[in-house]
Amino acid sequence: MDFKFSEKEERLREEIRQFARVELAGRNTIAGMEEESNDEDWEFAMSMSRKLAEKGWLTMAWPKDYGGQGASYFEQHVYADEASYWGIPGTSMGVSGIGWVGLSLMLFGSDEHKKKYIPLIASGDPDGVWCTAYSEPNAGSDFANIQTRAVKSGDEYVLNGQKIWTSCAHRARWCWMAVRTDTAVKKKQHGISLMIVDMKSPGIMVKPILNYAGVHIFNEFFLDNVRVPVTNIVGTENRGWYHLMQSLAFERHSMAPQFFGSARRILEYIVKYARETTYNGKILAGDPIIRNKIAERAIELETLKLFGYEITWKMSRGVIPVYEAARNKAYCDFFMQRLATTGTEIIGAYSQIDHASTWPRVMGLITRLYMMFPGLSIAAGTDEVQKNIIGQFKLGLPRAY
Amino acid sequence: MDFELNEQQNMLKTMARDFLSVECNKVKVRDLEKNEINYDPEMWSKMAELGWLGLIFPEQYGGTGADLLDLVILMEEMGRNITPGPFFSTVALCAIPLMRLGNKRQKENYLTSIAEGKSIWSLAVTEQRSGYETSHMNCSADYDGKYFVINGEKMFVPYARVADYFLVVCNTDKDTARNSGLAVFIVKAKSRGVKVEKFSTFAGDGQCRVRFRNVRVSRQDVLGRINGGRKVVDLIMQWGAVLKCAEICGACQAVLDMTNNYAKERIQFDKPIGSLMVIQHQLVDMFTDVEGLQYLVYHAAWLLSQGVKADVQVSMAKAKANQVYQKACIDSVKIHGAIGFTMDHDLGCYVRRIKSAEFMLGDTSLHLEKIAAGLGL
Repeated sequence: MDFKFSEKEERLREEIRQFARVELAGRNTIAGMEEESNDEDWEFAMSMSRKLAEKGWLTMAWPKDYGGQGASYFEQHVYADEASYWGIPGTSMGVSGIGWVGLSLMLFGSDEHKKKYIPLIASGDPDGVWCTAYSEPNAGSDFANIQTRAVKSGDEYVLNGQKIWTSCAHRARWCWMAVRTDTAVKKKQHGISLMIVDMKSPGIMVKPILNYAGVHIFNEFFLDNVRVPVTNIVGTENRGWYHLMQSLAFERHSMAPQFFGSARRILEYIVKYARETTYNGKILAGDPIIRNKIAERAIELETLKLFGYEITWKMSRGVIPVYEAARNKAYCDFFMQRLATTGTEIIGAYSQIDHASTWPRVMGLITRLYMMFPGLSIAAGTDEVQKNIIGQFKLGLPRAY
Repeated sequence: MDFELNEQQNMLKTMARDFLSVECNKVKVRDLEKNEINYDPEMWSKMAELGWLGLIFPEQYGGTGADLLDLVILMEEMGRNITPGPFFSTVALCAIPLMRLGNKRQKENYLTSIAEGKSIWSLAVTEQRSGYETSHMNCSADYDGKYFVINGEKMFVPYARVADYFLVVCNTDKDTARNSGLAVFIVKAKSRGVKVEKFSTFAGDGQCRVRFRNVRVSRQDVLGRINGGRKVVDLIMQWGAVLKCAEICGACQAVLDMTNNYAKERIQFDKPIGSLMVIQHQLVDMFTDVEGLQYLVYHAAWLLSQGVKADVQVSMAKAKANQVYQKACIDSVKIHGAIGFTMDHDLGCYVRRIKSAEFMLGDTSLHLEKIAAGLGL
């Protein structure tokens, strides 16, 4: 047993710290939150993604043949943790390109796909930004229930239907989309295909959906006779479900180190705030209830850290994580809620002030997490869905749904 | 980074699981709960022969020179199976401080005999109005010019009835500020003035009240330094606590396995109850808690084995262990239904040990406070 990072991994961490100190001077961000919501933040995120591309960090996970660095899983882990700690925006260029589209194309894309899209993603430019369209009004947790139809007509598919909760669709150049290519199937998991859709295609209409904090992250998305070349099918037609499972695993595996990084920073700020703030003539850090709650959150943070180490270690040994990714996602959801709630209790009434105005405490970090965590916990699968995966694949229990 | 057990640890784990399943089934566990001495001397000798008692002692003291992580693996198996007896008090609470803080003479005198299974030890620290913080201890040791004379009472001393020696934490200087006037004495259980009264605990795990009345101890029987007793207690609060956590974690794994198996076998409404989402998700939460606890324990033990300061991580493990064990047991009873609430079902053996585990070496609030202090609050 050994819980140390190597010297090479520690050097990378130090380099990222230096980068963040220089490039982020004066900005207070939480990685992955809200960067696509307004033009100014988005432009900054894109400028950072180009810098990350130049450093080679943006696609460090990719093999060298595809312009990546072939970084080890532990180097990726350090990057995810440290970049999130500093809140470096642009690390995933919206949501999907870096995280799973590139890696999935390498696995089951055609040569033409690889040649065309991989360099675009790796450049960090706006033309390499992807959104992912899985959910539909009647296909949420029951994702296999998707109805958006793709009907073959010559060398094209004609797409009709509706997607929803599509993050970043208003910024994306391309869409990674799940569609139904066959309706005459016994199991609804069959007959699904994965395809690349050009967001500039005629017939696509993207409408913003504001979340309850008033932030524009996700969208609804209508397809009216959208024509897509048959060569845009990724992998095998009607086998999309199986490709999607792999793609979702890419999406979930880095969640623990990413959220660990953000949470580590937030907990540090909470401790600092409690030490420096007096209320009713007493220092907050002296309050036994506050001490107790912060200690509980620190245990959860440590647990999340170790879950993150464990999944990275397993992947580095060639294991494809199944229940581990689901466990980490569910644990992040649970912990996010507890951390945000404790944080707001400690900063008190200031937790209701908009982070962009003049009075927020702790730079609005806690407020932002509090307003975002319910949405984040639904994205990439609710914790109920994750628990079904753990129950079935780790505990060997019968399907519960 | 490496989460894997090494070859030696895997062998130890397999050996322990095989040995305990044969030597210590739950019928025996229940018998020993009611038995006067609460342990099986024959099994104790076999554990000595297997090298478990001296597992982490240097070879010169009859040990095998294994490290703390190896002992953690063994403790986990002992907890998984429930292994009644004075192993924890002898090895974790007493032999480790003797090994790390004892002088050469003390190590020579005592460690070999422990490794050979010839002596049982226990720690006397908590009192009616004082816990592991030791700031309000009454038990005192006054120097009369020749001997230290111990007077006072200790509570919840494990296996005191069968112990040959005690480590007794005493106040040596009532005038000094808190915690600076402590010393830890090696006291023969048969010394004149020592009186032992066994508590009737749910676990039947041999915890006792021990009274010391004018018990004379020579200067050479001080472990560590006079007025340096806090250092001994701190060591026990780390190494001992991490081992208690390992034991608890093993028990949690057993409870999880038992409950998961039952949820697959028990049919109601024409299907296994484990296929009901509400039951399944409770099991998943239990699983995640137990796996998280295991990693916290391994990580804290690894830090200690590396000689790194780990008081916060140990406290995290102990606070979590206390919480997870209690929750796992109670949820398990609910999932089992009435059968889980019977004397005949093994689950009760685990339930009866919840409070014994929780209050040994610091309850949840003590450890949460240590974490808060460690964070700089």
